[in-house]
Amino acid sequence: EDKEEDESKEEDNGSQQNRASRRKNYQRKNRAGKKAGEEGSQKKDRGKTAPTKDQKESENKEKKTTKKGKEGENKQKKDRKNSASSASSNSSDEESLSEEELAMLMEQVEQKKKLISTMRNKPWRMVKKLSVLREAQDFVEKFEGALGKGKGKKLYAYKMMMAKKWVKFKRDFENFKTQCIPWEMKIKEVESHFGSSVASYFIFLRWMYGVNLVLFGLIFGLVIIPEVLMGMPYGSMPRKTVPRSEQATAMDFSVLWDFEGYIKYSALFYGYYNNQRTIGWLKYRLPMAYFMVGISVFGYSLMVVIRSMARNANESTADGDDDNFIFSWKMFTSWDYLIGNPETADNKFASITTSFKESIVDEQESNKDENIHLRRFLRVLANVLIICCLCGSGYLIYFVVKRSQTFSKMQNVGWYERNEVEIVMSLLGMFCPPLFETIAALENYHPRIGLKWQLGRIFALFLGNLYTFLLALMDDVNEKLAEEDVVKNLTHWTLLGHHNSSAGNDSTVTPPPLDPADVPRGPCWETTVGIEIVRLTVSDILVTYITILVGDFIRACFVRFVNYCWCWDLEAGFPSYAEFDISGNVLGLVFNQGMIWMGSFYAPGLVGINVLRLLTSMYFQCWAVMSSNVPHARVFKASKSNNFYMGLLLLILFLSLLPVAYTIMSLPPSFDCGPFSGKKRMYEVIQETIELDFPLFVAKIFSYVANPGLIIPAILLMVLAIYYLNAVSEAYQRANAELKKKMQMQREEEKNKRNNKTSTNPMLQDLEELLTPSTKTESSPREAGDKKTESPNGTSLVRKPGRGAALDGSPMASGRGAAFTPPSQVFVTQPRTLGIRAPYPGQPRPWGHPPGPVPGRGRGHPCY
Amino acid sequence: GLLSREDFQRIPELAINPLGDRIINAFFPEGEDQVNFRGFMRTLAHFRPIEDNEKSKDQNGPEPLNSRSNKLHFAFRLYDLDKDDKISRDELLQVLRMMVGVNISDEQLGSIADRTIQEADQDGDSAISFAEFVKVLEKVDVEQKMSIRFLH
Repeated sequence: EDKEEDESKEEDNGSQQNRASRRKNYQRKNRAGKKAGEEGSQKKDRGKTAPTKDQKESENKEKKTTKKGKEGENKQKKDRKNSASSASSNSSDEESLSEEELAMLMEQVEQKKKLISTMRNKPWRMVKKLSVLREAQDFVEKFEGALGKGKGKKLYAYKMMMAKKWVKFKRDFENFKTQCIPWEMKIKEVESHFGSSVASYFIFLRWMYGVNLVLFGLIFGLVIIPEVLMGMPYGSMPRKTVPRSEQATAMDFSVLWDFEGYIKYSALFYGYYNNQRTIGWLKYRLPMAYFMVGISVFGYSLMVVIRSMARNANESTADGDDDNFIFSWKMFTSWDYLIGNPETADNKFASITTSFKESIVDEQESNKDENIHLRRFLRVLANVLIICCLCGSGYLIYFVVKRSQTFSKMQNVGWYERNEVEIVMSLLGMFCPPLFETIAALENYHPRIGLKWQLGRIFALFLGNLYTFLLALMDDVNEKLAEEDVVKNLTHWTLLGHHNSSAGNDSTVTPPPLDPADVPRGPCWETTVGIEIVRLTVSDILVTYITILVGDFIRACFVRFVNYCWCWDLEAGFPSYAEFDISGNVLGLVFNQGMIWMGSFYAPGLVGINVLRLLTSMYFQCWAVMSSNVPHARVFKASKSNNFYMGLLLLILFLSLLPVAYTIMSLPPSFDCGPFSGKKRMYEVIQETIELDFPLFVAKIFSYVANPGLIIPAILLMVLAIYYLNAVSEAYQRANAELKKKMQMQREEEKNKRNNKTSTNPMLQDLEELLTPSTKTESSPREAGDKKTESPNGTSLVRKPGRGAALDGSPMASGRGAAFTPPSQVFVTQPRTLGIRAPYPGQPRPWGHPPGPVPGRGRGHPCY
Repeated sequence: GLLSREDFQRIPELAINPLGDRIINAFFPEGEDQVNFRGFMRTLAHFRPIEDNEKSKDQNGPEPLNSRSNKLHFAFRLYDLDKDDKISRDELLQVLRMMVGVNISDEQLGSIADRTIQEADQDGDSAISFAEFVKVLEKVDVEQKMSIRFLH
């Protein structure tokens, strides 16, 4: 009785074809069921018809029309088919089905597949569906392999199976890859509580962690490990040993904390590395590797940042231009249905409210009639104040660094004096941004613009600080370089003296070498630079963590627990819970990375420290956010700012490349420490490698390439290429805008065609008016009059109501809206209000839309 | 085997949703207080993801419940309380009040409603018909957002 049910309930596969084939299959299955096992070994994956389904679907569509014709044929061929199928199910390779039968069989298989894919839509009971499904799957499995011809049968079946397995494997691999992404659940949790902008900070942090991990892998694997494994061990050379004078205190914690002592003479810093050209039995060229790794750190970072920026730019151009329906979208689509947490729901309410308020403010802002001069004066004043602050902070840093230099020469320096520079810089970073914010209140910008100014100023603050620090450091380096000459002589004479004295007794015995700890050491300026930067980084890390701990956690504890016995409501009033400071944190991250880039050449271990820092920071900040922060009252759209942060990162990368490049190119390396000691300049290692390790012609090629006569034209060519690409992209953008305008015009035409049923071409309209003057004599003079009175104001009724033009009936709006609407459109699209406006000029309409019915559409109607 | 409104209200996401009551009402047929499994499924069927092959099915049969048009119709019915196939200004005001509450003055709410109608209305009847509603949400990826995906 199932079959009768089928016939009565068949809806979408209206063809009788399928019924007939299913009946046949039922019978065939019973007959051939015993032989199914023979084929079973080849078909493992059941029901994986998905991949081939799509390609068969298109074939199905064509075949559908032919199917109906073939129905009769099928019934006749039933018996022949059964015998053929039972024969084929014997799985003998010599058996080859005839062409016709093969085609029939293929059709059947496809029908079955289609049935399987559409099974869910059928209004049958579950039991029936399951049985039909199983039957169809069995059929497909059994006979799909039989579709190959003759000897190729098995191969075809094999290919089908492999295709299915491959798809399954790809899908599983994608799932696995998604699972492997670290911290995904944590970030999702933060996102659901705090919104996408806070989550974007954590995503940025995770991305940074990935980049740093790669850099660390590079440096660790190519520089540190070879030196540690294959280079000379500790204590064998002067550069690798703690000098005798410092050995007493080398293990003290306070000394270690300052990165002196044993840490200074370890693989973490530049000074440890030997300048031996090849080390170990692998003949690993360590100085060359050191240099190349240093360059590739910058190269890789640059590539990764720009790739990320390009990807962001791609996404942001996809959805840019829909301000047609601002309020409608806010009204209909602003609730996030995935929110399940009551507190988040409250915040969503608040953010929707704020978003409406913001939009209203946006609309009104352009109508604000303010005193331009006062505003300009205030803005100039604010900028002057802030520039003063910036200069003041720059000078303070410089002064403090100079002082620390004098301190380092003194003995008995207290803890404060030693760390003064770092403390001052951290304090500035903590107190200046809020100061800037309060001054910026004078400027009265739109909040989005205000945020960008704020970020720019904080960036300038940090930059100024950093560069002043670097300048002071350069002074230090120059001093050390001067000192070096003196020490060089001293070392030379000491060694000579030792040699003579020990050889004085017996000239045949080789003198015992001087203990490395006793050799007078040069002031290794590279290591000093490395140490300074590492110290700065570490103090920055500590300050950040302590700020989070105190500023967020302790504050939250205080507000929550002391609130019971305090005069005013702490939660709503002054301290309240902290909001997560996205921009501050992102800038902190960006600057930290800048310092890493600057210091990684002189302190290879710095990247490792940073990796640890980012790892702990992720867990620590996630915990801090969830436990002591409240979601923002004003939710920021995250996507637009993302490229801004990437841009900052790029800028910092470039800026941190400059000092390193300068020192590599123009400062001589120390004579007794580091992988480049003994050379005149650090980049000479490349020339050395090319001369000694590569065949001759390579050296010649390089000498030609390095010729300025070649490089300058190359640079010119690149500049021209950039100019050309820029021009091309601008042309594309313009073409894009034109197309959009055309599309919109088309849409307007269609809409009017639908509504008015008249032509929207203004020339045709005039023609119509001329042809049917009788019906329109009353309305047309009035409308002509309307047109005349309304044309100056008419452009205020724009197609893009998002411009807010109609919010106020004032003429001020016409200026804004006029830019995009050609005048002809106005007459076409707003005939209704033309009719209204003229008779009621004084009607107050604050929001610009006529509340009543629209009488002015008379243009087309009298004709009909 | 029947669900009542209280059962739905126990779902936290629905309870805190400003349109939660209306969504719950959409499950129950006219005037009834209980919904059986079939009715429940029928309403949920609106949220099935749209599969590509369904677009190539024959157009003769009735449109499946999870087509874009039906999804939008479902959403439209949430706003159109008096079922006159138009969202009037009053209905918009009601929705606004639920979404935003007392934090915005009534006058501003009225302005927002007027502005919304002005943006969406094309035939000038100061109400949003279904076609206009569709036009407003033309660029919104409704097929994706109004779909519940299990095990995909």
